[in-house]
Amino acid sequence: MISFLPSDEERAFVEVATQFARERLRDHARNAEKARTPGDDVISAAHELGLLSLEIPESLAGAELPLISQVQVLEALAFGDLGIVQGLPGLCDSASVMRVLPEPARLELADGAAQRIPWIHLAPGEVAVIVERSGFRLEGVAFPRRAVLGADQLLVSFVAPGGEAILAWLDRTAAQWSEDAGDVRLGLLAAHIGRIGFEGTVVRPEDVLVRGDDAERVLKAAQARVAVLEAAKCVGAMRASLEYAVEYTSQRKAFGQEIPKFQGVSFTVADMAIETEAARNLVWLAAHAVDSRGEGAMQDAARALAYALRSGRFVTNQGVQMLGGAGYLQEYPAEKWMRDVQAQAVLYGRELDWFERAGARALGLEEKEGVLV
Amino acid sequence: MIDFELSPQQKQVRDMVHWFAEHEVRPISLLADQEERVPDDWLRKVNRMGITLSMSNFGGGGDRKNKDDAARKEPRERQSNRLGVIAAEELAWGDPAIALSLPGPGLGGPPVMSTGTPEQKERFLGIFTREEPRWGAYALTEPGAGSDVSGIRTSAKKVDGGYVLNGHKVYITNGGRASWVVAFATVDPSLGRAGHRAFVVEKGTPGFTCTRVAHKMGLRASETAELVFEDCFVPIDNLLGGEAHYENRAGSSGFRVAMSTFDSTRPIVAAMAVGIARAAYEYTLDFVKREYPRGSRLQSDVLAKLGEMDSKIHAARLLTWEAAWKADLGQPNAKEAAMCKAHAGRISLEVCADCLEIMGPIGLDGHLVEKLYRDVKVFDIFEGTNQIQHLIVARRLYEPHGLRL
Repeated sequence: MISFLPSDEERAFVEVATQFARERLRDHARNAEKARTPGDDVISAAHELGLLSLEIPESLAGAELPLISQVQVLEALAFGDLGIVQGLPGLCDSASVMRVLPEPARLELADGAAQRIPWIHLAPGEVAVIVERSGFRLEGVAFPRRAVLGADQLLVSFVAPGGEAILAWLDRTAAQWSEDAGDVRLGLLAAHIGRIGFEGTVVRPEDVLVRGDDAERVLKAAQARVAVLEAAKCVGAMRASLEYAVEYTSQRKAFGQEIPKFQGVSFTVADMAIETEAARNLVWLAAHAVDSRGEGAMQDAARALAYALRSGRFVTNQGVQMLGGAGYLQEYPAEKWMRDVQAQAVLYGRELDWFERAGARALGLEEKEGVLV
Repeated sequence: MIDFELSPQQKQVRDMVHWFAEHEVRPISLLADQEERVPDDWLRKVNRMGITLSMSNFGGGGDRKNKDDAARKEPRERQSNRLGVIAAEELAWGDPAIALSLPGPGLGGPPVMSTGTPEQKERFLGIFTREEPRWGAYALTEPGAGSDVSGIRTSAKKVDGGYVLNGHKVYITNGGRASWVVAFATVDPSLGRAGHRAFVVEKGTPGFTCTRVAHKMGLRASETAELVFEDCFVPIDNLLGGEAHYENRAGSSGFRVAMSTFDSTRPIVAAMAVGIARAAYEYTLDFVKREYPRGSRLQSDVLAKLGEMDSKIHAARLLTWEAAWKADLGQPNAKEAAMCKAHAGRISLEVCADCLEIMGPIGLDGHLVEKLYRDVKVFDIFEGTNQIQHLIVARRLYEPHGLRL
């Protein structure tokens, strides 16, 4: 039966997340951006409230919540600050891989929520993959990704020569890689964005977690989950921008009246509200679909992310616009939300790419090598 | 609990209506557009089948076979609004103009259902039987009062035993063929909205005439009439809700009747727009599969457009579901109703335009999509223009901040 009513449990969890977002994230956002990390206090508090283990399986001391519950909590958190949320351990993309991995306990993580572990899903040709007598060797510098700086473990996936999908677990104690913070200025500055340099990094057979068809299934399932979770975070930033714009413009006067009385303002704000609602509904639909059908719901997940990225850019851009010159100043939060969402759109695939994949799926086209359609 | 699975009854309605749309409606779609009317024998046939345009068809009473089981369990959740949007999408997928021409109370049904006395409901809704196709209609808009319905000038002068109406109504769907029309008039223009009253005016009432049927860009098979009231006497029994409705409830008026109707009809109209967009999208998808060489540049060029269309359609559908769900729960849904109408009205035209662009010049010649493009434009206009929907959404957003727009 069609219903948009969250459960009592979900409402209670969202209330906790909302309070945390208002009290701990919103005010701390600028400092975290400057320090380029959420900060230990915020991380400890989030961990204590159980906000970092939503996606992590119970075998790694996680909460293993269904996606439909997680998306509500993540929206509430990102309403506080998307930049901080993206820098928190436990909320990394790797959590989704752990969630769908057969026997995640073999990763031997005492507390999955306490560590920042990036998932580096290498695009075809992004770095060289060389077959060695035992295992693989990686050569090259990967694209910027979040949660990279300071990571002691990596989940890395790639397509080996010959077309076999590989998912491996690399630990600094056995594998070598470098990291480069580069010169990232756009947004999500507390998200530990950087580039991994593979300089003859060896992936030993014992590092490989899954391969072949099994790996493809795991990667697809994880990618669907990541798409939904990242879309939900985007909706949180959109809601922040919308609510701030409504509040600010309701107080602002020009030409002798409150500016929402000019329809150029109020209609734009209405569009922001409509787009936010539409994006949230698609996220909920996708979360429900992935909970029910797993990787079979990739189309729903891709649709949710593509829509959220596109509408997120629209809403946060208008959020700045509605404040006029003030929106451009760092004394106000709107410009940061716009930068963060734009960075989110860059990190999680251009929406055009997601829409292309959706179109390909609708036409029943086969998957291309290494590209999860 | 958040859920997007259709219930067995919702699935049944969707499948049944889709079957009808595919096998009975779509085959006569282009013909009806060309002739600017739906064939009478077809209307008689579907009326005998019991298919009418009324939300009360989908009352949410549940599967009767399981009624006893249901009685032993928890009370059934009302779902008539959700069933309404599900059915409306499928019908419009078949053909929106034919959907609007189906016999039944149409847009006149909701105000009679919500405001009519038990006697009025029986009298006006009881005429819709399988023996003969009949229509109801809803007459609000006037030449000088479109979006601003508070400015209606059709007058209702109290006389012994009833009211005398004088005025002019335009854009009335099925207005010429309707057995009765819910017409809105004012007893005193200086009272503004408080002076509005809703009357059920029956066909054949002296002084009530249909003066013109409009020719339109699209929805050509749907009758859009102009109505004139000239010293038209309407008995007191035809005042919707009776005098008591307006005397006993502070602030109650025909304006309120008109507005509350929109909260349930806008999601239906939005769902129809979604159905049209989906029809165009699916038609174009088949066209691309058939006509564009696999792996060609042409095909890869349209992938993103197809993906984007699919996402817009889904987003619009969910907004209509949300508005209907709130209505079923009895919660205020004016903002959600306006949101879904604004969004669906806009994106459905965008989708149809993109479909035409993908098809290229060939789409001009005998293809359904160009008709859908013409049809869908009005979904951004009637039942409140896109701009009015924005105003409603904005009002709801600024209300908590003490700002009245």
